[in-house]
Amino acid sequence: MDGFATALTPTNLFFAALGVLLGTAVGVLPGIGPAMTVALLLPVTYNVSPESAIIMFAGIYYGGMYGGSTTSILLNTPGESSSVITALEGNKMAKSGRAAQALATAAIGSFVAGTIGTVLLVVLAPTVADLVVQLGDPSYFAIMVLALAAVTLALGASKLRGLISLFLGLTIALVGTATGQARLTFDQPLLADGIDLVVVAVAIFAIGEALWVAAHLRRRPLDIIPVGKPWMSREDWGRSWRPWLRGTAFGFPFGALPAGGAEVPTFLSYVTERKLTKRPEEFGKGAIEGVAGPEAANNASAAGTLVPLLAIGLPTTATAGVILLALQGYGIQPGPQLFDTEPVLVWGLLASLFVANTLLLVLNLPLAPVWAKLLQIPRPYLYAGILFFASLGAYSVNFQSFDLALLLVMGVLGLAMRRFALPVLPLLVGVILGPRLEEQLTRALAISQGDVSTLWSEPVAVAVYLVLGLLLAAIAANALRRRPESLPAAMRQDAPADVMER
Amino acid sequence: MTTVIERPNIDSAPRRVVDTAQYGLAAFLVLVGGYTLYDASTLHDGFADQPVQPYAVPYVVGAVLTLLGMLLAVATWRGDVPQAEEGEDVDLTGGSDWATVAKLGGVLVLNIVLIDWLGWAITGAMLFAGCAWALGSRTPVRDVALGAALSLGTWYGFYAGLGIPIPAGILDGVL
Amino acid sequence: MSVIVAYSADEFGTAALRHGSEVARAQGARLILVNATAGQKLVDPRYAADEEIDAVVGELRATGIEVDVRHELVDDVADAVLGAARESSARLIVVGVRKRTPVGKLLLGSVAQRVILEADCPVLAVKP
Repeated sequence: MDGFATALTPTNLFFAALGVLLGTAVGVLPGIGPAMTVALLLPVTYNVSPESAIIMFAGIYYGGMYGGSTTSILLNTPGESSSVITALEGNKMAKSGRAAQALATAAIGSFVAGTIGTVLLVVLAPTVADLVVQLGDPSYFAIMVLALAAVTLALGASKLRGLISLFLGLTIALVGTATGQARLTFDQPLLADGIDLVVVAVAIFAIGEALWVAAHLRRRPLDIIPVGKPWMSREDWGRSWRPWLRGTAFGFPFGALPAGGAEVPTFLSYVTERKLTKRPEEFGKGAIEGVAGPEAANNASAAGTLVPLLAIGLPTTATAGVILLALQGYGIQPGPQLFDTEPVLVWGLLASLFVANTLLLVLNLPLAPVWAKLLQIPRPYLYAGILFFASLGAYSVNFQSFDLALLLVMGVLGLAMRRFALPVLPLLVGVILGPRLEEQLTRALAISQGDVSTLWSEPVAVAVYLVLGLLLAAIAANALRRRPESLPAAMRQDAPADVMER
Repeated sequence: MTTVIERPNIDSAPRRVVDTAQYGLAAFLVLVGGYTLYDASTLHDGFADQPVQPYAVPYVVGAVLTLLGMLLAVATWRGDVPQAEEGEDVDLTGGSDWATVAKLGGVLVLNIVLIDWLGWAITGAMLFAGCAWALGSRTPVRDVALGAALSLGTWYGFYAGLGIPIPAGILDGVL
Repeated sequence: MSVIVAYSADEFGTAALRHGSEVARAQGARLILVNATAGQKLVDPRYAADEEIDAVVGELRATGIEVDVRHELVDDVADAVLGAARESSARLIVVGVRKRTPVGKLLLGSVAQRVILEADCPVLAVKP
């Protein structure tokens, strides 16, 4: 409960509100999402206290989810894969004049799911951390290997592309003199400290994205559905609350698992609601259950991703990865010790999640029409602004034009990744976990004095390797069955055609 | 939906689509992997208490990356086509407008070249106005005014608000 | 012989259309409805949806006016209106004008202003 004392100070309350507003705004804006926003803010926030910055980032994370669902409903352009499902029924509802109810059930469902998810997080994260903290280096090493494999192989359509992305990240992480000798520095003294992770994150998320969008700018304006203040009738409430709870039950566990993601639970929630509904005829034409369930699942999974992030130090989404970078920037090493070493920060963060969730509901229900107006910002200014702030952020780290050149090079890599459909998350996770993996391995082997068998000397490590083996076997079996449709593809099959044509 | 073939099946589709540009990516991966291997070979043995030699991880990473590059080349040859990333603001139907990207790249390079001399307050404004122009804005006066307001605002904001003194360049003493 | 109506999907466009259609009907002229966007915004409320254009055109045609539609993506909206006028040797352009504060005039280029200043033919500026 001390956490609330941290979260409710005027300063931190201000940062929570700022985060929620910023997060919703960028969630609504095309081409800019929570991960990019947090990346852009990284350099700025190093002069703010860690508590305030992390609280703001949490607000951005939750707000971004909400903003994304707003555009899915009003414009039928799901910005992130997690809101594809919301667009299915949500946009149909909006087209039939029920935009206000769709937005309301999304907002209230997000609140319910976010609150329950945060309660589960508060209960689970310290318990998991307590368990993990007792593990030795070999087990920890095994868990990180499993997480890398899961993030790379379980998500996305192409395993090959996931692996390419991961190993590009690991290569970037090699640069520097961390091991005592210069690796991949091209004899550049400026690279001796390694490539600044802030520059990598800003380049991949902001520059890469802006260049990619610039190459394919949508010019024909989209038809937006005008909206007033969101509200729901008694009947809508009656039809929404069960899907909210079921969606939460789907979302949280998937979020908490490495590589669970939000796509699978939103899809499961949608299918479940379609099965359970008393009005199957409304599905495909704008059923409120089809918005309520997936939206709740979406937000619950966002809360779930914070379990591995806080308890083990494993990021499982892009935004969580960038938040992890922020923690490292403050010299805070996320991991099982975090609850002991930084109790003020962690409990303040957890309390502020409740605050952010409430703020989201209070601010966003009345503000929905204002958010819709944001879509009228001229795109040249939007993307010029992104490039401007990305350059400023990279430059302000060291005031070196070299960092800007690095930013451009990495940005072109980000562009190429989007062109060739290389997923961003494995690269980010590779960059973050690469050095830790090497360090963990070094520590484990140092203790055992070079005896490699120490790596499977602990029961937990063996169990983790077994899980990893099963995962690989499952993937191999899948591949042998002549590449059946992966889940995202299956969702596409299920989706009404017009969503996919966009 | 029948018109959209997401992943051409090699057996059922007699016509093979080859994304030639992807060979470039494969070559890039082999190049990076190969250089990582070469770089690892130049490293010496580490300290006596270092159980993982400094070159151990680079050897693994470089080798795997090279292998992945080759696999990608094979996959490309077999007709693997990437499903490029979609987005709210992305219209993949109209082909790619690389001219805009080149213009943006030029503006960013200009910023890199000039920033040490002119300082952020000037190059930042140029950066914003230049990018807006490259992206199709046709109101140069307004763009430059907005850019100048942004770059001056951020310069003073960082200086006064955050205590980060961004070098002023030739405007040193003026700002 | 034609009358150009610079149409936007709001009260100003509606006012322009009302006056323009009156003139066209009285003079038996062809009405060219121009509704264009530079496509710089993801959502442009002044750019009408296809259904809206169809409805408006249907109404006009029902009253016996010959109507042409230019509903398109252009680089510059004012140029699109002026170009349509030149091509068809229009005798009149009708635009809706809005009230602007001095600051607004400074910051925002006005399509109506450019049409009024640069057109070769008379321009009728109407208010809702």
